[in-house]
Amino acid sequence: MNAHATRTRPSELRFLDPAILARLGSVELRARAVVEGLLSGLHRSPLKGFSVEFAEYRQYLPGDDLSSIDWKVYARTDRYWVKKFEEETNLDCHLLLDASGSMGYGSRGVTKLEYGSMLAASLAYLMNRQRDAVSLTTFDEAILTMVPASARPSHLRSILVTLDRIALGRRTDVSKPLHRLADGIGKHGLVVLISDLLDEPERVVDGLRHFRFRGSEVIVFHLLDPAELTFPFERAARFRDMELGDEVMAVPSAVRREYLDALRAALDRYRRELGSEGIDYRVLDTSTPLEFALVSYLSTRGRAR
Amino acid sequence: MGGLAFLSPLFLVGAAAAAIPIAVHLFYRRAEPLVDFAAMRYLRSAPVEQARRRRLREVVLLALRVTALVLLACAFARPYLSDSVAALNGDATMVLIDTSASVSAPGRFAAAREGADRAIRAAPGTHAVGVMAFAHAAEVIAPLSQDRAGALAASAQLEAGGGATRYLAALQRAAETFNGRSGRIVVITDLQQSGWDAASEGGIPGTIAVELEDIGGPSTNLAITSLRTEGTEAVAVVHNFSSRPATEQVVFAVDDRRIGAVPLVLAPEGSAEARAPVDGYRSGALSASITDREGYLADNVRYAVLDAANATSVLAVTATGHPSEALYLERALAIADGTGGFRFRALSGAAFSELDGDGLGDVNVMVIASTSGVGQRGRERLAQFVRSGGGLLLTAGPDVEPTLLRQALDGIVAASWAARPAQALSFAPDDSRHPVFRLFGGGGTLGNVSFARAALIDAPAYAHVIARYSDGSPALVEERTTGGRVLLFGSDLNYRWNDFPLQPAFVPFVHETLRYLAAPRATRSDYLVGDLQVAAGSMPGVVELQGRRVAVNIDPRESNPARMSAETFQAGISWLNTTAAQQARSGARQEEDSQGLWWYGLLLTVVSLAAEGVLGRRLG
Repeated sequence: MNAHATRTRPSELRFLDPAILARLGSVELRARAVVEGLLSGLHRSPLKGFSVEFAEYRQYLPGDDLSSIDWKVYARTDRYWVKKFEEETNLDCHLLLDASGSMGYGSRGVTKLEYGSMLAASLAYLMNRQRDAVSLTTFDEAILTMVPASARPSHLRSILVTLDRIALGRRTDVSKPLHRLADGIGKHGLVVLISDLLDEPERVVDGLRHFRFRGSEVIVFHLLDPAELTFPFERAARFRDMELGDEVMAVPSAVRREYLDALRAALDRYRRELGSEGIDYRVLDTSTPLEFALVSYLSTRGRAR
Repeated sequence: MGGLAFLSPLFLVGAAAAAIPIAVHLFYRRAEPLVDFAAMRYLRSAPVEQARRRRLREVVLLALRVTALVLLACAFARPYLSDSVAALNGDATMVLIDTSASVSAPGRFAAAREGADRAIRAAPGTHAVGVMAFAHAAEVIAPLSQDRAGALAASAQLEAGGGATRYLAALQRAAETFNGRSGRIVVITDLQQSGWDAASEGGIPGTIAVELEDIGGPSTNLAITSLRTEGTEAVAVVHNFSSRPATEQVVFAVDDRRIGAVPLVLAPEGSAEARAPVDGYRSGALSASITDREGYLADNVRYAVLDAANATSVLAVTATGHPSEALYLERALAIADGTGGFRFRALSGAAFSELDGDGLGDVNVMVIASTSGVGQRGRERLAQFVRSGGGLLLTAGPDVEPTLLRQALDGIVAASWAARPAQALSFAPDDSRHPVFRLFGGGGTLGNVSFARAALIDAPAYAHVIARYSDGSPALVEERTTGGRVLLFGSDLNYRWNDFPLQPAFVPFVHETLRYLAAPRATRSDYLVGDLQVAAGSMPGVVELQGRRVAVNIDPRESNPARMSAETFQAGISWLNTTAAQQARSGARQEEDSQGLWWYGLLLTVVSLAAEGVLGRRLG
């Protein structure tokens, strides 16, 4: 537990390329590969919250529970030390995975839906390992599938099977499923939204605000394909909307600047408005190793405890 | 009617390359790939291109590519605008009416009008009919059209003029008006033999027939072929172009005031001079007239200008400036005093050196008969005079120092001379076509001149030796300067080293030599009808030209009533036919060169390609 270890950055770890990961056999195998790899990389990590083992001593501060004082240490050192344990939680984690048509886009061997599925599976695996209750909801303009929350080890298989069978839906309408789910969440928990957020930002933020209103911590993984982030096309082409099917003729060199400006403005708006609501907002390039997302999750979970 | 023609039309085949982008556009059009894309909401916010607008742009792009290729082909084909290229439908008849001075004989022009009327009325009904008048130049009086009444009215307005007959130029001009049509040219003329001018350029296409309407001409003609002043006399030369003797009276007038009448008896095919004193007139319009009623009326009068300002100014530099030192030169020039004559003065070398800046302003020619007394300033003045276009005659006589002149004219004149032992020589023209010897034919009396001494002229290779001594050495050498002419005569002109001043050839030699030297600066006072590009120059008389008076007269050749046969005339046209294609080609090239339209074609090609590049880049 040293300071160096606490500052270990995920990029310094050896992670699996999402495109390679996607070629692994089952969702479970993929999730296990990600999580176990991450956990082995986080050996001696101070990230608290997923272990019941002793964590550290620290000096007593007014307000600390007296029962947490280690009297044996006091006897030896004549000072009050508080013994910190990683706690057991009963956190409910809700995974919301966007399965709309636009999530089927992928330019580098893995679609956003595949990436989102692996991310959801990894998170579910991780949560289940921590004994957190996990639920999974997939949606497009409506809720497609819903696996209720449970912390039982056998529950993980239900989630993974659901993710393995997931199919692309139709149009994106994030807000409607969000409002409906927010109403159904009974107690404080952690809501993880995995989506490309190709919807009206105002409606998306409004839906997520609903969760915050219900007392839940929210983390949003905004999935974007590298081609969506850079618009690397060269030749004039007819671009077809994957959800609506309509086409637009465009010369990339002529529209690239405006496209990137519009994208940047949308990301800035999400970042600004979700940040102001206390929502953790992460933009994930689908070429980014999933471990980055898990680290983000873990830090947010610590806050949700 | 103008039109676009091409000097090298074969290059237009290159325009077929325009089919390449069209074919590519129609048959090998590359469809834009279809790309499924998710983040369309951000793409739609960009100014994307609608399919209809893109199609429009593609059409514009195609048009630009085709335009560039076509323009490039056109530029290589060397386009030009021509009046003669737009081939029109239908045949034509152009009536060409002779209005030269030779049809001024009594009744001749009326016959010409009648002939024109007949030709107009006889033109086939399907022909367009036009009327042209010609003499030294041809002019369209009624352009080709179906308006026969207009053509008749136009021909009725014509009168005989004072120009000389020039058949070839007229035929060529008439052929140009056909604009590619076929048809006929009807020439109404007196078939005057002098009307064929071998120097004329032109031709008519073989698709145009030439028909003749012979209006006949007088068999006799009396004409004043020359009017000049000699000293204090006006001299008119009257020529009798007939096989019968004739008597005539020449009436002289100055400014329309009769000053004398001289009766003449003229031998068959002979000429005679009539002289009248004009010593009381320093200026004025001199005329001489006769009353020949059978021949051409237009050549019954001739004009000259007495204004002394028109005479060639000659300055001779002698040892002392005394007239006797250039006596023979002065006497020779005095003969031609007055119009077309000379104003002579002599200066000593010292006086010449002291002349102020304007002292040489009116001098056309300088004659160096002596270098005695010519100082540094005089040498500089001489060099300046030659540089400014003045004519210079250097005489290699005993009083002329070649070293001094070599210094004075260093960098201007390279020819020089050296003394050589006395030797009996004669001389003859080396270039008999040179203007100085034009009057002498092959040499004539020049061969009678005896030289006791002569200088040995050292002429540079580029100098023009126009006369040589009997031993082959140069006798008269010409060097051209920036604007003027310099002649070096290898002896003197004052009866010291030769007997030239005593020979009959001396006066014409001196006149022609000095006129030739003065030509760059001289101002003519005698012109022929058609020489002046002003309206007043189209008729005989005395007219104002740039603030001075000049005489305009009929070309003496026009006074000869000798006629040719219709066969001779047609033979000349046949020769034209063989060269018509070449001449048309030459004319087209000149026209194209003067217009330079291919530059614009090339420029537009570049502009089209630049626009295509910009638009193509936007289309991706």
